[in-house]
Amino acid sequence: MNNSAHMPVCGDEPSPLRLRSPDAADHPLFSNRPAGFAGGILNTNILKKIFHFERFWGIERLTTMRLTAFILCVVLLGLQRSGAQVAGDDLGSFTASAKHHTQVTLLLSAADARPGDTIYAGVDMKMEPAWHTYWKNPGDAGQATKIEWQLPPGISAGEIQWPLPSKLPPAEVTTYGYEDEVMLIVPLTIGTSLKTNSNLAMGQVELKAKVSWLECKETCIPADQAVAAKLNIAAETKTSSDAALIQSWKTKLPRTDNIFSFQAWWEKPATGDTRPLIVQGQQMPGDTLLVDKSEFFPAPAPNEQFEIQSATEKVPDAAGFALRKTVKKFSGDWPKEISGLVVVEGNGQRSGFDVTLPVGPTAPAAKTTSTAAPTGEVPVSLWQMLLYAFIGGLILNIMPCVLPVIALKILGFVSEARSDPRRIRNLGFVYALGVIVSFLAFAGIIIGIKAAGHYAGWGIQFGNPIFVVCLTTLVTLVTLNLFGVFEVVLGGGALNAAGELASRSGASGAFFNGLLATILATPCSAPFLTPALGFAFAQSPAVIVAIFLTIGLGLASPYVLLSCNPALLKFLPKPGAWMEKFKIAMGFPMLATVLWLFNVAAADYGSRVFWLGIFLVIVAFAAWVFGEFFQRGRQRRGLALGITIGLLVCGYAYALESHLRWRELATEPDAKTPGAAGDNAWQPWSPEAVDRARAAGKIVLVDFTATWCVTCNAVVKPALESDDVAKKLKDLGVVVLLADYTLTPPAITAEIARYHSAGVPMVLVYPKNSTEPAMVLPQPSPLQLPTSYGRVILEALDRAAK
Amino acid sequence: MKKTIALFAATLLATATFAVEIGKPAPDFTGTDINGKTVKLADYKGKIVVIESYNSDCPFCHNQYKGAVQELQKELAAKGVVWLLVNSVNAKNSSHRTPEQAQKEWTALKINATAWIDDTAGTIGRLYDMRTTPHVFIVAADGTLVYNGAMDDRPQPFGDPRTAKNYVRNAVDELLAGKPVTVSQTKPYGCSVHY
Repeated sequence: MNNSAHMPVCGDEPSPLRLRSPDAADHPLFSNRPAGFAGGILNTNILKKIFHFERFWGIERLTTMRLTAFILCVVLLGLQRSGAQVAGDDLGSFTASAKHHTQVTLLLSAADARPGDTIYAGVDMKMEPAWHTYWKNPGDAGQATKIEWQLPPGISAGEIQWPLPSKLPPAEVTTYGYEDEVMLIVPLTIGTSLKTNSNLAMGQVELKAKVSWLECKETCIPADQAVAAKLNIAAETKTSSDAALIQSWKTKLPRTDNIFSFQAWWEKPATGDTRPLIVQGQQMPGDTLLVDKSEFFPAPAPNEQFEIQSATEKVPDAAGFALRKTVKKFSGDWPKEISGLVVVEGNGQRSGFDVTLPVGPTAPAAKTTSTAAPTGEVPVSLWQMLLYAFIGGLILNIMPCVLPVIALKILGFVSEARSDPRRIRNLGFVYALGVIVSFLAFAGIIIGIKAAGHYAGWGIQFGNPIFVVCLTTLVTLVTLNLFGVFEVVLGGGALNAAGELASRSGASGAFFNGLLATILATPCSAPFLTPALGFAFAQSPAVIVAIFLTIGLGLASPYVLLSCNPALLKFLPKPGAWMEKFKIAMGFPMLATVLWLFNVAAADYGSRVFWLGIFLVIVAFAAWVFGEFFQRGRQRRGLALGITIGLLVCGYAYALESHLRWRELATEPDAKTPGAAGDNAWQPWSPEAVDRARAAGKIVLVDFTATWCVTCNAVVKPALESDDVAKKLKDLGVVVLLADYTLTPPAITAEIARYHSAGVPMVLVYPKNSTEPAMVLPQPSPLQLPTSYGRVILEALDRAAK
Repeated sequence: MKKTIALFAATLLATATFAVEIGKPAPDFTGTDINGKTVKLADYKGKIVVIESYNSDCPFCHNQYKGAVQELQKELAAKGVVWLLVNSVNAKNSSHRTPEQAQKEWTALKINATAWIDDTAGTIGRLYDMRTTPHVFIVAADGTLVYNGAMDDRPQPFGDPRTAKNYVRNAVDELLAGKPVTVSQTKPYGCSVHY
């Protein structure tokens, strides 16, 4: 062997540049249109007052504290082996080969970028046949590729995003890496400072990097190469001709959706320095992927105190797939968490999922009831959730949107107290049936949405403006009914007149009341049922049905109880003239609900919402004509009915169709952002905005909110706007982003689902250290004082600043 | 045939995992060095023995053998420590060394080890579950294994290894001082052993 050869190993020539195509089409990824937060805020004081009589409600997410602790551990785990080194000292004497066998080019997703954009760099590495380079954890041997950027001021590079690697032969020394070709993806943030810096403004900049890697075949060669690409800083973003190629490599990155929930536990106690570990994956219900193969590639272990060895054994598992890995401990304690990449093959597709999992001491007992998942939520028992669901349903009875309906029913009891107890009991059951059927319908819709492969989140119905308009109209009519403007007689006057059919009318009335109670309960249910619903949405169809059924039972139970034991009625006040006054009084919380829904509609329609108001006035007038001249009138009742119908038709055609244009959304949502916290201007949320801010070393706070969300507006918003929090946000230079869920855009639904939340409110705080994951703040109870929640936010911000 | 070999290798590997354990007697082996001399681990009982998987074509080894390891070998030899190189590169690999080539390399690199064992068959490498070049094992004077892992805490094929914390020197110094070895296991780094 010739050991005296003295040849340079590393080429230093810049790679051929890929030229930008000036007329490349705008890529949606890079368009930077702000999605404004629309709509005003509900009068929270009224709601808070209303909520005060439910002070005893104290259910909070029990898991949040533990989750927070876990996230802190993840943060520690996430610290990778540091040691970015500069290659290139005396390599000249290296003996193996004259040239390297990997060609590197630097591609950019954009030809032109605006200050504030995040673009993607693709470091494309083409290996000669049989040569390979390594993943972030090279495995038993080898070395991860490193990229050292030389960027103009104002442009910063994020972490390398690694496409799924393969296990490389030989079997005895397993490594993780890439053969033939790989493109390492790096987000580049174009700082807004470029806008003001006249030296750099609006011109061409050169982005340079030194890529160093170890390539191996029979032998290994350390190599590096300088690469460069040019980027125009311009007023408009323009994608490059390489954008599609980079995008195609981005599909090979680990997936961020969670079609699996993962868990890890120790299979056995340690034998010496090794210990068997089980990594288990359970498919989310409704997911259609057929898993053929599964693997686990460990991430680089923190401080290298242990390693997860490369051998993987498949273990039979009823719930999904389970992999046995051997952990070898070098020093210290057995790891409490492990992280890595779960690779799943099936349906002709290879997918990877980045996971960080707490290692349980033993196999979990009831695997089917746990919600452990990538973010490691602590398992909650099904029974506990069913209890929450029942209590939640019970409490719905006294929510401002449901209470009037229930009150009406109780009034009905009072008036029927002297009649046949069996009939009362039957009506009670029919009412309960109405409630349960509607909840089952909800469950069916949720299961259907999930089966169709979408994320289902509570409150998603409010993203549909047609639903909002119908509900607003319905609640308006209920209000008017309570005010005595008109009566509700189901089955029509004919049935009413026919005495013998009265009982049937009562039954259908009771059923309708059950449906109505449920429909009216939807706006109020989100804050109280969040834990149970959040749990439910991630479960199998059977569990979803069980949870919804239990909520329905909770809602129906007081009425059923009363109808089965009419004796309890004696605790109610005696019937009398007060009943009419009480009924009218109940109209006011209903009116507040109308106002709230109107606000939700405002988010959908912008200033056009005025015409919804006009429509409601016409409906109210029609209701009065109907009640006064048709129901209670003596003459020309036909004319009155005609006028009523005419009014409704005209109102519909004129206000809803031609002016509100109720089936189309406002093209330009109101750009008003809710509340500026100090000098921190709220910006619309996008994953790119988060990346950008994090790349700039900022702490990021994201408020997931919606106009229809009571807790968001009653607790989270005032807490964020409080002086303490606003000052802290300003002092720490926190980038505050607002994710407006009012119209339930799918991107936000997916993001919320990623954190296992059932919906809004959800507050995320991304720590200053961009390698650490986001912290999910504990979900506030709707009755929590904003100052108390403010303290939670302050605490999180302090942690994030560390 | 391939399967049988793989199975055989896997079995060997499995036994090796049990055999090489810190605090347990280091498995004995007999090999032939590049000068044709028989080398038996048991013969060195009473001395500290450093066993290093070696392949100077590997940039990690190459970097260590720019002088740093030779110095360490000399320093430890003065303290009576035995240093065995184990080269397990298979005969078909371009990095394989015939005894003649190895002798030339020994002279050219001024290696100060006790012996270079020709382990072309990979028997010793597999027995010790050597995974990388370099991968170092230290056997105490009483024959127990006291260290298994990397040469140092600087897993780079570049730069001066003398700036790193050398686990081998630290462990040997502790042994000579009659103290327990504080860092007894680390993750080895380098190129794969080309069995």
